[in-house]
Amino acid sequence: MSALKKPANIVGTVLILLLFLYPLVGSETRYFESVLIVCMLYAIMASGWNIISGLAGYVSLGHSVYLYIGMYTGAILGKMWGVPPMYLMVLGGVVAAAIAVVVGFITLRTRSHSFVIITIAVLLLFMTIAQNWKSLTGGTDGFIVKQPEWNKDSPTTPYYYIFLGLMVLTVALVAFIMRSRLGAGLVAIRNDEGKAASIGINTTLYKVTAYALSAVPFGFAGAVYAQYLGFVTPTTALAILMSVFLVLAALVGGRGTLWGPVIGGFLVWGANEASTVLAGEFSARLLIMGVILILTVMFMPAGLLPTISRFVHRRKSQGSAVAFIDQATIAQTRDVAIDSIVARTGQSTDPVVPALEVKGIVKRFGGVTAVDGVSMTVERGSITGLIGPNGSGKTTLFNCMTGTFQPDEGAVFLNGEDITRQKVWTRAHEGLGRTFQITRLFKSMTVLDNLVAPLEKTSVRELVAGRYSGEDVERAREVLDFMGLAQFEGQEAAALSFGQQKLVELAQVLMLRPSIILLDEPASGINPTLIEKLASVIRRLNDAGTTVLIVEHNIPLVLSLCDRVHVLAEGQVLISGTPDEIRNDPQVIEAYLGPDHMLEVNDV
Amino acid sequence: MGGVYALLSSGVTLIFGVLDVVNVAQGSFLVFSALLTWQIWDLTGIEPLLLIPVMGALMAFFGWIIYRGLVKRVVPQGPGMTVLLMFGVAIAMEGILNIAFGNKFKSVTPPYFTQSLQIGELVLPYPQLISGIMAVVVLVALYFYLKLSWAGRALRASAQNKDGAALVGISSIKASSLAFAIGAMTAGVGGVLLIIMYPIYPATQYDWIAKLLGIIVLGGMGSIPGAVIASMILGISEAFAQAYIPQWSAAIFFGVILVVLLFRPEGLLGEKTREDVTT
Repeated sequence: MSALKKPANIVGTVLILLLFLYPLVGSETRYFESVLIVCMLYAIMASGWNIISGLAGYVSLGHSVYLYIGMYTGAILGKMWGVPPMYLMVLGGVVAAAIAVVVGFITLRTRSHSFVIITIAVLLLFMTIAQNWKSLTGGTDGFIVKQPEWNKDSPTTPYYYIFLGLMVLTVALVAFIMRSRLGAGLVAIRNDEGKAASIGINTTLYKVTAYALSAVPFGFAGAVYAQYLGFVTPTTALAILMSVFLVLAALVGGRGTLWGPVIGGFLVWGANEASTVLAGEFSARLLIMGVILILTVMFMPAGLLPTISRFVHRRKSQGSAVAFIDQATIAQTRDVAIDSIVARTGQSTDPVVPALEVKGIVKRFGGVTAVDGVSMTVERGSITGLIGPNGSGKTTLFNCMTGTFQPDEGAVFLNGEDITRQKVWTRAHEGLGRTFQITRLFKSMTVLDNLVAPLEKTSVRELVAGRYSGEDVERAREVLDFMGLAQFEGQEAAALSFGQQKLVELAQVLMLRPSIILLDEPASGINPTLIEKLASVIRRLNDAGTTVLIVEHNIPLVLSLCDRVHVLAEGQVLISGTPDEIRNDPQVIEAYLGPDHMLEVNDV
Repeated sequence: MGGVYALLSSGVTLIFGVLDVVNVAQGSFLVFSALLTWQIWDLTGIEPLLLIPVMGALMAFFGWIIYRGLVKRVVPQGPGMTVLLMFGVAIAMEGILNIAFGNKFKSVTPPYFTQSLQIGELVLPYPQLISGIMAVVVLVALYFYLKLSWAGRALRASAQNKDGAALVGISSIKASSLAFAIGAMTAGVGGVLLIIMYPIYPATQYDWIAKLLGIIVLGGMGSIPGAVIASMILGISEAFAQAYIPQWSAAIFFGVILVVLLFRPEGLLGEKTREDVTT
């Protein structure tokens, strides 16, 4: 889609043009210019906030701290070097980003709730420091900043254009991030962080990068704002209020959208100015803003832009029936060269080294020992099954293999390499792919987006690459063709049936070119046609050299599909063997299948 | 002081445990109760401690209304949105309180306000002493209520597993209303205790909410024992800081929180989230 085809982009561009022209044509511009400057400041801040809180979904309530950091950086260094703070705005951005990296490493380890709270704490901590480190910051009185020569009669127009420029740059930054792999990854994190890690997204790196980038516009704007105000003072209440305003702006406009926060900035500060004119008093404004925030959250949680676009969308799509997709078409698989799907360069093909091996795995939860010293191997090129009654420790063992859990004892080897301490995403990069029992697709993203989200490695080049860089899309389409899912490409993942989602999730994992795929109960909850389909896909992948480990309750499926089966019972390996051995082993029948299952099993 | 922290943060952490809602408006509830206490005391001269049950009940009712009217509707939209909602409530309340009581310090000064108990070297001002004791009494009562009563059990069950609790007949709406009411009640009681110790004005809520949230993050979200321990840490570190480097006391506390979270992101007594595990 071309950039100008989107109505929001047109509105945004027109807004910027009007802002550009305004000082040239308007008369008596001074008051309005000063109002618009603050509007633009909020637009800049709301857009910056949008990177971490809108895209990645980590709501920060203390982001104004980075404006203050920019202000103090500009003011303090300006004073030391005798330079007006504005000229130091790049430094403001750098310092803000640097502090954000440090803060991010601490705070982003915590999850949503704690994160929100910590961001407030960081703001208050900074303000306390600013108020008390008198020699550096001038304490609660703050200090006057140096002004350049041209600022004698303090004109507003130069600042106006600088803020306009910063606003355009911020929007460009956000647009760039949204189109990049980084942006796609952030949205994936917002949707489901654990899943994002499982498909090779280094979530820590992504979050910290997003957090630092979101602080940059604040730092730039802060240095300029310090000079515009002419002084810097640490007023905690104002800083908090500012945070609330900018969050409100992003929320009203539409968080996660490109132009929403910009438009929100103008609306919120405009409303604030209006209520100052109408209601005058600070307290009344506080009340009005509080009520607006409550109403927005309650009645328009998505924000203005998404609400409008949904409304327009609904009117457009009225009458056009949703295409009915025949279940049978899914069963047909277009012939795609399977080699291009599974090929993984540099893959060890030494058959002696097992694809996956665990040694002496022990995992305890409180007093319960879920897995008690399990050692087993998954031979290269095999389809290996892992079965056992409920509570036998299958899932725990599985989670130790994928890195969701750290085992208390024992080690996990992938292609002979110890991966016990590796992060989930590193395992994905090394060729370990997994699916989930309850599918965890990124529901708000299309099937194609879901497929291009996985990352085979983490590198700067990958992060800045376009979301749909040619090669990946091509590959994604190939995989979809291979799975017989091509017609779902543009559908939202949430619109698919559970069974279809399972296939899409497998397709997603294939994008990683895994050398081994771990399937967690692939057949549970889907219909027999799809189970057959799934079995055929698994066989074809296996023929092409992919190793597969299946955890499954559907015994007939496991016994018909697998070369080798491990049976777990009470946290230990009961027996390992071929399907035939398993089928006839009285121990297994005793422990697991029970006498009633005999007939069914023998039918296979 | 630690006792008052413990009481208030228990209220916040209880609401979080049951509802998954971070009540950032607790500070404004607290200030509301404190200012109302001041108003009644100013008009009638009544002994402020007698107002504890009244304010507790009043705020419980207030909390109940806020939950039924606002929070309940926003909960389905996820935790981020409820935080913003409660922030909206906090700001709106600050606005109202500013208009109603004026943006000035108010304090209640019963006769014992300036007296102290002296035990050897130790000087304990009566207001602090009484507040501390009362806070502990209410906290202990709350603890036994949660531990022993049917409603308390229902609350704890809801906190651990909402769906499971619903299956055995615990209405999550009722449990949530109760939790919110109790949470607000702690603010009601806290407000009375607070205003006999310190002068208060509406914007004080920021200091309070920051400290309370710090405490529950440090203690582990949803853990009442954690909140109590963290309150003690805050109380003691503040007391020490105040003795030696008064202006840095807040900074030291937040510094402690950041350091602890560096090593234990889930807080002191928090449980590791098992949200990665859906299998």
